[in-house]
Amino acid sequence: MNAIGFAWRSLVRQPARAVLGVLGVAAVGALLFDMLLLSRGLIVSMQDLLDRGGWDIRVSAAELPGSGLRVPNALDAADSISRLPSVQAALVIRSALARIDRASGRPIRASFQGVATRSTHPSGSRLRAPWTILRGRDAAGPDEVVVDERIAAESQLEPGSEITMRATCVTDLEALPATRLKVVGVAEFPFQTTNEHTTGGTLDALKTACGGNVGHDADLILVTSTGDPDGTAGAIRGLLPEVTAATNREVVGRLQQTGFTYFRQISSVLTTVTVSFAVLLITVLLTVSVNQRLGEIAALRALGFSRIRVVKDVLAESALIVGIGGVLSLPLGLLLASGLDRILKGMPGIPVALHFFVFERQALYVHAALLTATAIIAALYPMRIVSKLPIAATLRNEVIG
Amino acid sequence: MIVDARGVSRVFSMPAGPVTAVREVTLQIRDGDHIAVRGPSGCGKSTLLHMLGCVETQTSGTLLFDGQDVSRLSDARRSLLRLRHIGFVFQRFFLLPMLTARENVELPMSEAGLPRAARQQRVRELLEYVGLAARADHRPSQLSGGEMQRVAIARALANGPRLLLADEPTGELDETTGAQIAALLDRVNQSGTALVIVTHDPALANRASRVLTMRDGQIESEQVA
Repeated sequence: MNAIGFAWRSLVRQPARAVLGVLGVAAVGALLFDMLLLSRGLIVSMQDLLDRGGWDIRVSAAELPGSGLRVPNALDAADSISRLPSVQAALVIRSALARIDRASGRPIRASFQGVATRSTHPSGSRLRAPWTILRGRDAAGPDEVVVDERIAAESQLEPGSEITMRATCVTDLEALPATRLKVVGVAEFPFQTTNEHTTGGTLDALKTACGGNVGHDADLILVTSTGDPDGTAGAIRGLLPEVTAATNREVVGRLQQTGFTYFRQISSVLTTVTVSFAVLLITVLLTVSVNQRLGEIAALRALGFSRIRVVKDVLAESALIVGIGGVLSLPLGLLLASGLDRILKGMPGIPVALHFFVFERQALYVHAALLTATAIIAALYPMRIVSKLPIAATLRNEVIG
Repeated sequence: MIVDARGVSRVFSMPAGPVTAVREVTLQIRDGDHIAVRGPSGCGKSTLLHMLGCVETQTSGTLLFDGQDVSRLSDARRSLLRLRHIGFVFQRFFLLPMLTARENVELPMSEAGLPRAARQQRVRELLEYVGLAARADHRPSQLSGGEMQRVAIARALANGPRLLLADEPTGELDETTGAQIAALLDRVNQSGTALVIVTHDPALANRASRVLTMRDGQIESEQVA
């Protein structure tokens, strides 16, 4: 009987201890797995969000998009950018506050994203606005909009419906004119947060909604390069030194240094804590088990079992507990991650499409490596006990005891 | 000659000062010997047995097993020597409770690297030899004390040892069962295995061809039948 078979029998012999160990490792392993998913989840999810739609450079007035500062003379800037040889297209995004009247009840407060594309590249026309059409079609005319699912549900709108919107593009103190716009589609807006309502359309539609009073600034210019985002971002910075041009990777890098650091730190601390708990749990269980079997182990040694063999038995027992618990921890961890993700996404300002816990194969490997290390470290002390066991003295004590 | 012990002593360091458990014992064990070691509790019988079985090393003197100086062997070599040449029977049996009788007997053979088919054949033979073929698939908790000791004897004989050491093998058994175990040990000895038994039981000791009486760590007398 090899060490694994022997360890398996030892576990089966004491089912309560084995179940306790396996469940403990499963719980701790699930937490560990979640911390690993959390450590890179926001980064991966944000990168995915930014990459959606094919826009790989963001031009804004501040270091990070969404600061509230606007790019001056955005259409002229987009024209200049689109003429760069490495640019396929540039998309100007200008957002405004809007109120959508409803037949009954209070008006819906929403944001209206007006977009305009500039391109001199043959494939530039293929690029779309940064939202995904769920039903109907994209807005194209100056009196057409798409709305999100929440607005569609709350106002009972479908493609073909009409809405009355009052938008303000320059200042909150404006008297808002009422404009009738046609809903041509229902869309998903990637950066929309849980509590937000969003509509989208062309920049001309935004002008219509704002009574022509839209100004020349934009919140953001999205750019798609022909394949070299870093070089293109550099060219844009050379062309327009007053703005910031960052590739998606750079934007994620900046977020990593600011807001996302918090989650990485939390995950690092909790990873350390959970691994420590796992080590302690397994060490205690194995030590108790070994101490209960000292006589048997001494007898085996007297019968000729080598020191290495009895040490291997303990290690195999640790490996079995951690291995079975580790496998169980994966579905448990995914379940827990989905619950925690829902809770964390309830925080204000978090885009609906952003996830805190994202599965990556790398997390699985790190999880397996950490649990392997746990099994080894946890077994060190009990292995030392059996390795240093004085055979004769133990046999003598067992008889006296 | 299996064991040649010359002037071996074993001193234990204790908080109150060193305690000499075995004092300058000289003893030879040959193939087929049947030796009983008697004496009052604490006289050093078990310590001597452990030294003969290479689980305890002497603090002075020389102990040769099959011509090899045991004190010069590494722990791994001593383990191998015990595995191949020495069998142990303990007062408390020390069978592994999660294994069946068959598996307990098979364990030392498995450790010695015997092929599976050969192991199974030998297990059958040994369990038949000790009269427990019908209880092969029973766990120790399903066996009586006498049956457990029979399994322990079968396990001790698994790798065909030249020397079988038994420490109070009837100590946990009633008189009748003890007599059965004594008879079984006699059979083992008659088949050529040297047998050293540490016992308080005069009936068991009187079956031996040499009876050593120990006192204060020394062999006080030796009676040869």
